[in-house]
Amino acid sequence: MSTMDAKLNALVERDRDHECKGFGPAQVCVRIVAVAKLPSRFGDFRIVAFWNNRDQKDHIAIVHGDVVGAEDVATRMHSECLTGDVIGSLRCDCRDQLETALMKIGSLERGVVLYLRQEGRGIGLANKIRAYALQDQGLDTVEANLALGFRDDERDYAVAAHMLQSLGLASIQLMTNNPSKMDQLRQYGVKITARLPHLLPPNAHNRFYLETKARRSGHFIDFTGTPRLQEQSDPVIVEGMGEEP
Amino acid sequence: MFQDTLIVGAGVSGLCCAGELVRAGRKVVVLERARGIGGRCATRTIQGQAVDFGPMFLHGSGPAFMAALAGLPGDPPLVHWPRKVEGNGPPCQPGALDPSVGRVAYARGLKSFPRHLAQGLEIRLATTVTSLQVVDDGFKVTTAEGAPLRCRDLVLALALEESRQLLATLPASPEVAGIQALLGLFASMPCLTLIAGYPLDGPAPSWELLYPAESEVMQLIAQDSTKRDAPRFRTFVAQARPAWSRRHLETDAEQWAGAMLQEMEALLGPWALQPLWTHAHRWRHARVDAASELTRPVQITFPGGQRLGLAGDVFSRGGGVQAAWLSGSRLAERLMTKECP
Repeated sequence: MSTMDAKLNALVERDRDHECKGFGPAQVCVRIVAVAKLPSRFGDFRIVAFWNNRDQKDHIAIVHGDVVGAEDVATRMHSECLTGDVIGSLRCDCRDQLETALMKIGSLERGVVLYLRQEGRGIGLANKIRAYALQDQGLDTVEANLALGFRDDERDYAVAAHMLQSLGLASIQLMTNNPSKMDQLRQYGVKITARLPHLLPPNAHNRFYLETKARRSGHFIDFTGTPRLQEQSDPVIVEGMGEEP
Repeated sequence: MFQDTLIVGAGVSGLCCAGELVRAGRKVVVLERARGIGGRCATRTIQGQAVDFGPMFLHGSGPAFMAALAGLPGDPPLVHWPRKVEGNGPPCQPGALDPSVGRVAYARGLKSFPRHLAQGLEIRLATTVTSLQVVDDGFKVTTAEGAPLRCRDLVLALALEESRQLLATLPASPEVAGIQALLGLFASMPCLTLIAGYPLDGPAPSWELLYPAESEVMQLIAQDSTKRDAPRFRTFVAQARPAWSRRHLETDAEQWAGAMLQEMEALLGPWALQPLWTHAHRWRHARVDAASELTRPVQITFPGGQRLGLAGDVFSRGGGVQAAWLSGSRLAERLMTKECP
């Protein structure tokens, strides 16, 4: 067993009885319960399973290289999106954002993708699809979305901060186009040394970002007229858009 | 006459919302179509004996709701009714029978809970709201019975289909259209209910509540008289499955009640076919399940600042009476907070 695996396995051992007062108003506490190798088309990873005390959702960290105790670890927060991540939906850019993050991190010496099980930003799959149905009818009102359960990202940051602490990262470089994310994580004691812009390579599915500036109520509209949703609390930036933050 | 808040519907969500607003000093009037309060949290007295014919018991997991259930002066809760449950069919709300969930009934009937919520409130019974209008300083509410009422804030605390119907009387606006479309993505399930009374010395099943997995007709049969202090009859309440209820919803009550009695015979024995008396009740919008849940009550603010709130069991998680209660409580909170747009 490599030292890297030994270190990760030691975290499982360490967390066996872990219980703290939790992070954030929801007092989220997570503990590392299992680690395994996860070779993938994007590189060689370890997958770390976290149990959490709040909603019976197992969050995961996808880890590349020796991150335990490391400085300046490239880190991406990704919120679960079944339709985008798995089915390749073009109503959002989640899959591009996830693949780009995995590819980028796979190419670095070390890095982490936190995969947060917050389907539809906390509203669950059925209600996310109801929100899509409303948009299909051209009725995308704030109140309706709130009632469906869209909530702020508060809990995501608490979970993410605890996960990073559990992994023992000394400091991170956050891959994001949303600088306020850094403040949110810092509030929970995460040491962030830099921000890495998260740029998507242009492809047939996101080309419209480069060619049109058409936005409606904060959403980009693609060529078919479908609004592209920002499900990752992180604006989409395609290389060449000229809006690099 | 001008009110701070008018609430349409004296069910659990409307009464809870009204109570919290009144305690905060608002002047609130509740309008109720029926001759009594409680909505679907229903108990009727038949020949001197209480019979629950909406939900069979109340269940919840939130401490505030459980405390509210326990705090009825003069109505100590029968904690953990039902104790004896038989059959492998699912309860109406998933998780209702989980060991971690608290269950409560009352010897005087489940209506004790809304009756308690209604104390001190101004409630106008037998008042049917037919249409809504947005006016300068609030809303004008037209009823079938008398002069229109006016209010600053308006709350619809109804089954979601009934709220949709009333919203349709408002002039078109993006806010209303959005909420109408949203509610259109949800649906309540119907429940045909048969109450049957038998002599006390007749056959007595050992269970209090039966969920017959094998029956296509019946969701549950409750032995209601096991909740009563000194029952005069052995009463059973049978509730049909949603799909079966939907199929028979518009048919003659005698017909479906007869079919339900026959199903009771099949499940319980020949004696079940000979009740002393029966009553049938058609719940058109009995409940929503976990697949149809919003996370919070809706509040629409019109351009002139007029606020319209929607509460009810669909507007909270967890289903049933607890969800109704929570939605009413949260809507009251929202109405007492100045909104920052």
